[in-house]
Amino acid sequence: MDKILIKGGTLYTMTDGENNIFHGDVLVENGKIAQVAPEIVCEDAQVIDANGNYVLPGLIDAHTHIGLFDFNHDSSVDDANEMTDPVTAAMDARYSINPKARELKVAYEHGITTMLFTPGSGNVFCGQAIVAKTYGDNIFEMTIKAPAAVKIALGGNPKNTYGDMKRLPMTRMGVANVLWETFRKAKEYLDKQNRGEEQDYDANMEAIIPALKGEIPCKIHCTQYDMITAIEVAKAYGVKFSLEHAWGATDYLDEIVESGCDICYGPIATYRSPGERRKVDVEAVKMLDDRGVNVAMITDSPILSEESLYHHIGEAVREGVSQERAVRMVTINPARQLNLDDRLGSLEVGKDADIVIMKGKLGLDTDAKVLYTMVDGKIVYQA
Amino acid sequence: MYLIKNATVHIGNGTVLQQSDVLVEGKVIKEVGKNLSAEGAEVIDASGCEVFPGFIDPVSSIGAMGIPGRYLDNNEATNPITPEMNLRYSMDPDEVNRQEFYKSGITTVGLSPTNNNIMGGQIAVCKTAPQKMKERLVKEHAGLKCSVTSSVKETYGSRDQLPKTKMGIFFLFAESLRKARAEKEEKRTEAQKVICDVFDNASMPLFVAASSKTEIDGLLHLMEKEKVEVNLVDGFCFADSLKQIKEQKVGLVLGNVNNCSQIAKNGMDLSKLCELVENGNRIAFTNSNGGYSEGREVFIWSAIEAYRAGVPAEEVVRMMTEHPAHMLGIQDRVGTLEAGKDADLSVYTANPVTSYAAKVKHSMVNGEVIF
Repeated sequence: MDKILIKGGTLYTMTDGENNIFHGDVLVENGKIAQVAPEIVCEDAQVIDANGNYVLPGLIDAHTHIGLFDFNHDSSVDDANEMTDPVTAAMDARYSINPKARELKVAYEHGITTMLFTPGSGNVFCGQAIVAKTYGDNIFEMTIKAPAAVKIALGGNPKNTYGDMKRLPMTRMGVANVLWETFRKAKEYLDKQNRGEEQDYDANMEAIIPALKGEIPCKIHCTQYDMITAIEVAKAYGVKFSLEHAWGATDYLDEIVESGCDICYGPIATYRSPGERRKVDVEAVKMLDDRGVNVAMITDSPILSEESLYHHIGEAVREGVSQERAVRMVTINPARQLNLDDRLGSLEVGKDADIVIMKGKLGLDTDAKVLYTMVDGKIVYQA
Repeated sequence: MYLIKNATVHIGNGTVLQQSDVLVEGKVIKEVGKNLSAEGAEVIDASGCEVFPGFIDPVSSIGAMGIPGRYLDNNEATNPITPEMNLRYSMDPDEVNRQEFYKSGITTVGLSPTNNNIMGGQIAVCKTAPQKMKERLVKEHAGLKCSVTSSVKETYGSRDQLPKTKMGIFFLFAESLRKARAEKEEKRTEAQKVICDVFDNASMPLFVAASSKTEIDGLLHLMEKEKVEVNLVDGFCFADSLKQIKEQKVGLVLGNVNNCSQIAKNGMDLSKLCELVENGNRIAFTNSNGGYSEGREVFIWSAIEAYRAGVPAEEVVRMMTEHPAHMLGIQDRVGTLEAGKDADLSVYTANPVTSYAAKVKHSMVNGEVIF
């Protein structure tokens, strides 16, 4: 297998501690990072000169619906919401993704090499989110983790879906009721399973079990005061979870910190109106990061464009997050949230060779652009 | 009186003055230059900062929607031809205030109807700062907002009313013009009076939502011999109709390109903006897409996308200030930092077109420091 040596760039390794930005080289071999050092000599490698440029781990967008909300036709297609029952936890996002969606190309051309694809928020238990690389032509081959998370939604979306049908949940208390009941049933189902008792197979319960066992997180769509409900229920069942979107988080900093949950903040830039949109407070990411919360920035693409991930990081920087911390929010932070930090999120030996070479400082220079994108050691884009 | 000292001053017309001052007296700019002094003026030290004229979004739905409410106040979707509607009566100051536009340097917005009617109504221009209504209103009847997008056919076609198709939209547009002109003056309806005034006397410019190539080409064909000034709104496929846009020298109010992945969806080539700049077309940005605005941040994002695509930074600044002011016919009051104009400006820590670290330190509207 070919070796590639990236020479002389400023490396953003995204590792913890000091000296994680330095001038150096990266050696790629067999699709993995083989060496990261100030000076690497390897005579049989293809050399890419990165002098004057920046070398980063491939970026990660931890919350998208690309190919599920398919905007690639005259009218948009919604394959993200199986809105026939408030609990459709077993739905597997992979089967809804259009791998030909143009946004995927935009993604890797902008250095975004990995994404979490999730069902929408029309149900309380929406389905199974999956993680995949953005380059490829078969989503099942591109996938690196499935299921990757149990997607849950609170607030206006599920209540409008079922309110219109005159079914539970029509209210926020109804949503909470479905949440409590479903977790209770899932726990009961798991307990019976553990005791070896016979019971009818229930695909939705089976899909929630990995979250109850702590194997995958719940990704909970919520904003403003719905966060309190999310935190209360998730804590009661001891699941690992992240709050998705999290507009209004500045009002719930203590609760978030105390719960130990992660945050996926975004998309920014909705207009402000009473209700769920009343507070869109990107300054929250600075406050949460300062208090040790794992924060990722997300686009909700294609609702906002994939390239807007740059603007999202930029807005964090505008609010006082250092550029290096902001880049963490689209690299190592989401990798850790998804328990994929053994493969993604930093320039470290043994990890997937998902590497971006950029001209300009991402999140600071508005004209920062990708020169090379590498996925699994293969150059998939070159400016 | 305020004296803003030692800043990099972007006039808004392409000129940038280094180490310069802006003197504000009352509601207006008194002087812009070097080493200004004025007794009794409160000095704002802007060393290391960059001063910009207030940015202008010429077609905003925010401030006219009246949320929450069962019906949006900028969507009189009862008749596809309602040019007589005046957006001033739908102005909701609280809705504007809630956006905190000043944090993104936006000080003026043109309140506009949705894209659901072919002729939706007349744009009313207002300031974004929380001030008295009469202070805020810059101009009513500033433009006639029209639309030839699929929003129109979705609105009326779903009721089995004309127009249900693109050809239906253009038929009704042309017929409304023909009928208004054919009617005896004393017999004209209010709508017909407005139409004649706009198209025959060029009393106000057009702002027409058109996005696909079919829509843009159709509109430019229909307007070819009209003397009214035309501005395309949204215009996501502008690059596919570049020749016509250059020839007819129409304006372009580029929609929110980040919303619903417009760049990917339409295969947009934003670098073609450079050709329009060279040709002298006016270009502006709006927070809206499809007739609905998003939050204040996206305005800058669209500007950044233009800059990333190769438009020089100071040209981008003109698109945020001088160009939209001219489009709305309010250039005597806003759009550039020149003596006699409204004191609407932002003191930024850096240039927001080139750096994400740029943050508004102070915002001034009508000579009042609001932030």
